[in-house]
Amino acid sequence: MVPNSTKGILGHFYEPADALAAAAKVRDAGWKHFDFLTPFPVHGMEEAMGQKRSWLPWVTAVLALCGIVFAQALQNYVMVFDWPMNFGGKPFAAWPAFIPITFEAMVFWAALGSAVVAIVAGRMDSVPQPPPMAVKTGATFDRFVLWISATDPKWDAAEAERFVRSLGADGVRLVDVGGRTNA
Amino acid sequence: MAPASHPHPPAEPPASKGAATPESAFIAPGHTFGSITDKISAIVLTRRTPVGWLLGFAIAFGLVMLFLMAVTWLLLKGTGIWGVNIPVGWGFAIINFVWWIGIGHAGTLISAILLLLHQHWRTSINRFAEAMTLFAVACAGLFPILHTGRPWLAYWLLPYPNSMGLWPQFRSPLIWDVFAVTTYATVSALFWFVGLVPDLATLRDRARSRVGRTIYGVLALGWRGSARHWARYESAYLLLAGLATPLVLSVHTVVSFDFAISVLPGWHTTIFPPYFVAGAIYSGFAMVLTLAIPIRAAYGLQDFITQRHLDNMAKVMLATGLIVAYGYAMEAFIAWYSGSFYERFMYWNRVTGPYWPVFWALIATNIVIPQLLWLKKVRLNVPVLFGIALVINTGMWLERFVIVVTSLHRDFLPSSWGMYYPTMWDWFTYVGTIGLFVAMLFLFIRFLPMISIFEMRTLLPESKVKDSAHA
Repeated sequence: MVPNSTKGILGHFYEPADALAAAAKVRDAGWKHFDFLTPFPVHGMEEAMGQKRSWLPWVTAVLALCGIVFAQALQNYVMVFDWPMNFGGKPFAAWPAFIPITFEAMVFWAALGSAVVAIVAGRMDSVPQPPPMAVKTGATFDRFVLWISATDPKWDAAEAERFVRSLGADGVRLVDVGGRTNA
Repeated sequence: MAPASHPHPPAEPPASKGAATPESAFIAPGHTFGSITDKISAIVLTRRTPVGWLLGFAIAFGLVMLFLMAVTWLLLKGTGIWGVNIPVGWGFAIINFVWWIGIGHAGTLISAILLLLHQHWRTSINRFAEAMTLFAVACAGLFPILHTGRPWLAYWLLPYPNSMGLWPQFRSPLIWDVFAVTTYATVSALFWFVGLVPDLATLRDRARSRVGRTIYGVLALGWRGSARHWARYESAYLLLAGLATPLVLSVHTVVSFDFAISVLPGWHTTIFPPYFVAGAIYSGFAMVLTLAIPIRAAYGLQDFITQRHLDNMAKVMLATGLIVAYGYAMEAFIAWYSGSFYERFMYWNRVTGPYWPVFWALIATNIVIPQLLWLKKVRLNVPVLFGIALVINTGMWLERFVIVVTSLHRDFLPSSWGMYYPTMWDWFTYVGTIGLFVAMLFLFIRFLPMISIFEMRTLLPESKVKDSAHA
C-alpha cells in the first residue's frame, strides 16, 4: 500500500485545454508519479496522462455471472431439492419462472459490487496523493491542479519547480506532508 | 485556505463560442465553472432557508404525522379498517404501490437511459429526478408491506434458512416483485450516491461550518477530483447506467406480472408489461414537471432548467401517453376479439358499470387533455404545463384504480359480486405517503445539491477540449 500522502509540488491551470496540454508534456518528460485534480472529468485526460483503460467492466461481468449462478442455485435448490411442493401439477424445476429473480440478482450483484470495488480501488492507487490540506486548492471548484509527487524516481525539488513553471502553471508551490507550503 | 478566494478568476467564456454549441440552450450563456458551482452550492450552504421552505416542510411533516397515525391504527386493528373485502382484496394499497413505483421510473429513465443515449439535457434534472425515484420507491414499498397484514413479519418474504423450514414461493410473481423492488431501491440509491460524491467534495471544501465540513467530508469519501479516479468513476457510472436501464424496464414488467400472471379477466393480458412501463414513464415525467416547475421558480434556477427542458419533458409525456392510449385501445379490442364472454363482460362493465365515472375520468385525464401537448404554445406555457402534469398524475392514479378495482369487483359468479369503497384510513395512508415524499424532497433540496454541479460544468463550451481538438 502506498502512503496516503507525500510531499510534492502543485501547480494551477484555469482552462481544461491548458491542463490537457500540460498533462501530455508531463507524461512526455518521463514523470510517473503525477496526477491532475480536476473539477469534472476532462475527456482525453486518460490518454494525455498515459493511463490504461479501466479494468472495472471485467469486475462487473464476473459479479453479474456470480449473481446468475447464485440465483439459479438458490431457486433450484429450494424448489426442486429442499422442499418441492406440488401446485396444480406444475413442474418443480420451472426454469421460466426463475428468470425474473435471476435477472434481478444479476443486476444486484453487478451494481453493488462494481460501486464498492470502484470506491475501494480509489484507495489503492499507485500514485501517492497530495496531503489533504493541499487538496483545498479549488480542484473541486474551478481549478485544474497538477500534482507531482516527491516519490517520483525523477524527483528533484528545484528541477520539478522549474519544470512546472515552464508549463505555464500558476500558483506553483512545494508542499510537505502536513500540507504546509515549503518556503 | 479559504476556497472562496479567487486571485485569478477564470477567463469569461466567449459568447460566440457558446452560441455554436448545441447544448447551449440547456444552460443560460455567461456562466463559468465558478459561477455554476457558486449558484448551486449556495442554495445549500449560504442562502437563508426561505420561509416557503419552512412552511412547505411543516405541511408535509404534518402529513407524515397523519401517516404515522393511520399506520398505528392499522397495526392495532388490522387491515379491516381499510375498504378491502372479498372480492376486492387489492384496494388502495396495491393501487398506490403501483402508482408510486411508476413515478419512480422517470428518475432512472432520465439518469440512466438518457445518459446512454447522450441526451445532455438530462444533466440539470437528473439529480432531483433520481432523488424523486428513491423517495417514490420508499413510499411504494410501504404499501405491500402494510398490506401483508403483519408487516413485522415482512422479512419472511426474503429467502433465509430458518427454523420453520420455510422458503418463499419462487414461482410467484409477488416474490419476483420483492426481488425487483429491493434491487431497484438499492441500485437507485447507489446510482444517486455515486453521482453525488464529487459534489459532496465540493460542499466539503466550501462549507463554512465545522459540522458541514465533517458531514460532507465523511460522505465525500475523500474525493479529490484526481484524473485517475475520474476515469474509473466515469467507467463505474456508465456501468451502473447500463445495469439500471434494463433494471427499470424489468421492475414495472414484474409489477405488471402481479396482474398478468393471474387468470382474471382484465388482468390476464400480454400487453401489460410494455403498457405498464410506458405508463410508469408517463406518470414519472408528469411528477418531474410537477416538482421542477415550482422548484425552478422558487430558487431562480431558470438558467439551468430552461424552457427547452420543459419542452422536451412535455414531448416525452406526449409520446409515452400515446403508447398508454394504444394500450387502452388494445385492451378494448382484445376483449372483443378474444370472444371470451368474461373478457367482454369485464370491459363493458368497466365502461358502463358502477365505476363508469372513474373510467371516463381516466380517459379524459390520461388521453384527451394531454393531447394539448401537441401544441408548442401549450408546451411553452409554464402554468398550463404544470396543470397538465397534475392532470396526468391524477389520471395515472385513476388507471391503477380502474385496473385493480373494476377487474375484481365483478367475480365470475354474480352471487360473489361486491363493491369497493375506500375508507378514511385508506385516504389518510395515501395522503400521508404524499406528505412523506414531499418532506423527504424538501430535506434533500435543503441539504444536498439538487442539480449535479460537476456535470453542469461539463455543459460549458470550454469544457469540450477533446471535441474542439478534433474539429
